[in-house]
Amino acid sequence: MSDDTNGYELSLLELDGEELKFRAGETLYEVAQRRNKDVPTLCYDPRLEAFGACRLCVVEVDGIRNPVASCTTKAQAGMVVRTKTEALEKHRKTLMELVVSENPEATIDPLRGMASQELGVLAERYGADGSRFQGKHSGSSRPDDPNPMIGRDYDHCISCYRCVRVCAEQEGDYAISIKNRGFGTQITVEFDGFLSDSACTFCGQCVQTCPTGALNDLRARKHEDTPGELEATRSICPYCGVGCSVDIMTKEDTVVAVRPAMDGPANEGALCVKGQFGWEWIQNPERLTKPLVRKGGKGGELVEATWEEALERAAQGFAQVRDTHGRHAVYAVASGRAPHESAYSVQKFIRAGFMSNLVDNCSRA
Amino acid sequence: MFEGPSPRLSERAMTRTTDDELIACWRDEPAPLLPVLHAFHDRDGYLSDDALRAVAHGLRIPLADLYGTVTFYHHIARIEGGKQRPRVCDGPVCKLNGCDALLDQLAPEGATAMPCAGRCDDPIPVLRGDEFLVGRVGAPLAAEGTPLPPPNPGGVTECCFAHIRDAGRASLAGYRASGGYEALARAVQELSPAELLDLIDASGLAGRGGAGFPTGRKWRAVAEATGEPKTIVCNADEGEPGCFKDRALMDHDPHAVIEGMALAAYATGATRGFVYLRYEYPHTLRILEGALEEARAANLIGPGILGSDLHFELYLRRGAGAYICGEETSLLNSLEGKHPFPRNRPPYPVTHGFEDKPTAVNNVETLVSVPPIVRHGSDWYAALGLGEHKGTKLISLSGDVQRPGNYEIPIGLPLRTLLDEWAGGPRAGRSFQAVTMAGLSGGFIGSEDFDITLDEPCLRAKQSFLGAGGVMVFDDSRDMLEVARQAMSFFAHESCGKCVPCRIGTQRLTERLAGDAGPRDTELWSAEVHDIGHTMMAVSACGLGIAAPLVTESLLRYFPEQVAARLEQRT
Ligand SMILES: Cc1cc2nc3c(=O)[nH]c(=O)nc-3n(C[C@H](O)[C@H](O)[C@H](O)COP(=O)(O)O)c2cc1C
Ligand code: SF4
Ligand code: SF4
Ligand code: SF4
Ligand code: FES
Repeated sequence: MSDDTNGYELSLLELDGEELKFRAGETLYEVAQRRNKDVPTLCYDPRLEAFGACRLCVVEVDGIRNPVASCTTKAQAGMVVRTKTEALEKHRKTLMELVVSENPEATIDPLRGMASQELGVLAERYGADGSRFQGKHSGSSRPDDPNPMIGRDYDHCISCYRCVRVCAEQEGDYAISIKNRGFGTQITVEFDGFLSDSACTFCGQCVQTCPTGALNDLRARKHEDTPGELEATRSICPYCGVGCSVDIMTKEDTVVAVRPAMDGPANEGALCVKGQFGWEWIQNPERLTKPLVRKGGKGGELVEATWEEALERAAQGFAQVRDTHGRHAVYAVASGRAPHESAYSVQKFIRAGFMSNLVDNCSRA
Repeated sequence: MFEGPSPRLSERAMTRTTDDELIACWRDEPAPLLPVLHAFHDRDGYLSDDALRAVAHGLRIPLADLYGTVTFYHHIARIEGGKQRPRVCDGPVCKLNGCDALLDQLAPEGATAMPCAGRCDDPIPVLRGDEFLVGRVGAPLAAEGTPLPPPNPGGVTECCFAHIRDAGRASLAGYRASGGYEALARAVQELSPAELLDLIDASGLAGRGGAGFPTGRKWRAVAEATGEPKTIVCNADEGEPGCFKDRALMDHDPHAVIEGMALAAYATGATRGFVYLRYEYPHTLRILEGALEEARAANLIGPGILGSDLHFELYLRRGAGAYICGEETSLLNSLEGKHPFPRNRPPYPVTHGFEDKPTAVNNVETLVSVPPIVRHGSDWYAALGLGEHKGTKLISLSGDVQRPGNYEIPIGLPLRTLLDEWAGGPRAGRSFQAVTMAGLSGGFIGSEDFDITLDEPCLRAKQSFLGAGGVMVFDDSRDMLEVARQAMSFFAHESCGKCVPCRIGTQRLTERLAGDAGPRDTELWSAEVHDIGHTMMAVSACGLGIAAPLVTESLLRYFPEQVAARLEQRT
């Protein structure tokens, strides 16, 4: 029976010796999370339906012979659960040693993706250094895929299926699927093609959920050798009206990546191709840094000018249009690539300067 | 309310030709993906990229998903002409019988190996398109019917096999000649569903497909679950190496399967049923189709069965080559057209089965046992077992024994009685070294433990289990490490890849048995093999990964010297 006032069941379970209430439908993993238990996982992403692939999250439940995966097991009244025992830790170590044994190395650059350190961290914790269970490696990478955004280094893949599930469950694109079975399992797309020929929209969700860096952000990886600490600055993606929260990743003064914010109220960890991958132009050396004006009016050659000169020319142009055709003849479209502050200035300019609302943004969704 | 009879699976490609016609023929049927794939596969002799595009579009399945799912199945050919290329069984017993030489012999036709095809009591099975043939080294392939069970060893009361050897038994008339469908008539006319459930409970019948779950309890759970329509699934996937009993039942006694399913429907309130038949039994498909048509015409299937208000529609579906699809939740995903990974449980199929509705999945033998139980009573059935054990079990016996075949034993029969008295003992001049249990899933029992009886409590005490009842015999001429390697490579080949311990563990264990990787030192080797095995048994997501290490564990328990000697040779 659920207690509607607080959503918690009146019934209790016991977790590591502690009596706890739980919500109807809550999994053992979720209950353990609430109590800050350090239950390891690799196939878990809180946004996705629990899948039960890595088996690291197993816990002991009295009366059930084998340990159960806490991510897929619903809490039930009266359960007596243990999240950390010698036997469980031994299984977890063996699982980590098995996972590490199928790949070249567990340590990879964090710029590959948000979750990319999960494997390395757990490998370290369980002392899985690749010395045990040696044998064939799994997964074939696709260095032949020419897309400039997503690297497909499946030799690092551990078949957690987070990418497949995020693409289906979060993005609704069903671009990625699972080929073959067993040790021959291979993450792929239709007919083993390139991402650009598949249903992929390059949203980058698969990259950000991949716990090994097998799927990785190629644009960010160009900065693996850029010096400096990796820092995150919270912002809002300027490209459209959804307002996805992002973390702009920098090393000193260089933007090195954009990451979706899991706690972004509008996007909850999602982004689209523009927000995710459309940032390199910020540091493009071909960007104009000085104003240009046309010599001799329309059709003339563009030449460098001072800011005064340029602003003067622009003001003249606006004034002329207003005087000839009236203030409603001016319509401004702010660029989605401009900073928020500029977008704000543009609307201020139109509203205050022309007393109209004829202003928009290029990527208003 | 009820769809008309399904088109015949075995003939669908002959009458419909265009992509649209093939899709239209199945789109509105239940569980359409597998039949549509087979229709294209049969028409074209393989599944082309265009066929996949057409199916994805026609059934509204994402193309990437469909592409991935198709690669899961061993028998779906993706290259032109692929379907007709012979597949030669290289299961454990066929290995003993020379399948490697037969593979060489058929190499010019592009032959490839397939896992155990369920005919271990006979020459080597070969599948060529829809022909189920047998091959002997040096002889042309021949079409031969499924062998009947050997004669009753004398004085043993049989349940499933009591009439299977009767001439004409496979026809409706032949089935009726010895009381067929009387149980169904009696149930719908004289028993309430609740009384039928009580009867099955009292008989002690438990699942014969591997897990041994009490059948009455399973049916009761379905009967009591909310949600409709309810479904009965007959698990005819019989993928366990060394098991060929379900094939014998279906080929020689197909109406018993249908009657058993109708009784299950009556007990549970199910209105639809599926037989999920393994790809490797194309002849069985035709037999079941014929029997189903006869049964439908005689008002034994469909609306208003035998004048009662029991409505039960039955559909045949053919698998495509995946051992894991015998695991009931993987089977349900396969039927639904999804990627055939096993599901997480709970919830169980009894409440969330086919299309998330209450479903009873039962093995062929379990269902075939039901009509005689209804006719002769629960006490009769229960008393067939020896000692405290209830009922009978079919054992598929094969390998190094004089008279291989399917035997119906009273549960609790001593292994030695089966091997020596019923099956004639070892081959001339040989002695027994080991048997497998549960096909391969129960691992080995070494000859020092041959004093066991064939029942779950006794076998569990030996860290094994009876399961589906496949027993393969290996005599003293056999290399047990090599047998174990083949067994583990079967599990590696069939691991679905969903969970880490089994996906990687079966591979690593195979490599260690083969000597391809892993420590050379016996102690380190054993430590790795045990560690992998223990973790697989404890935390794998389904029965495949839980059972597979019984092979290595029992190898190390019974044959440590063979292991040590081989590792010695390798250094
Ligand atoms: C890997 C694996 C393969 C299985 N294969 C089969 C099979 O081929 N036929 C079958 O009846 N049961 C098979 N089972 C058991 C089924 O999951 C299920 O328990 C059974 O069909 C239930 O029917 P029963 O209660 O009548 O035995 C398999 C189980 C596992 C784990
Ligand atoms: S980038 Fe987005 S759409 Fe493309 S495969 Fe990854 S999750 Fe799917
Ligand atoms: S590519 Fe990454 S996310 Fe996808 S299955 Fe492999 S490890 Fe998991
Ligand atoms: S135990 Fe093996 S077959 Fe079962 S879910 Fe795991 S990988 Fe798949
Ligand atoms: S987190 Fe539960 S199995 Fe991976």
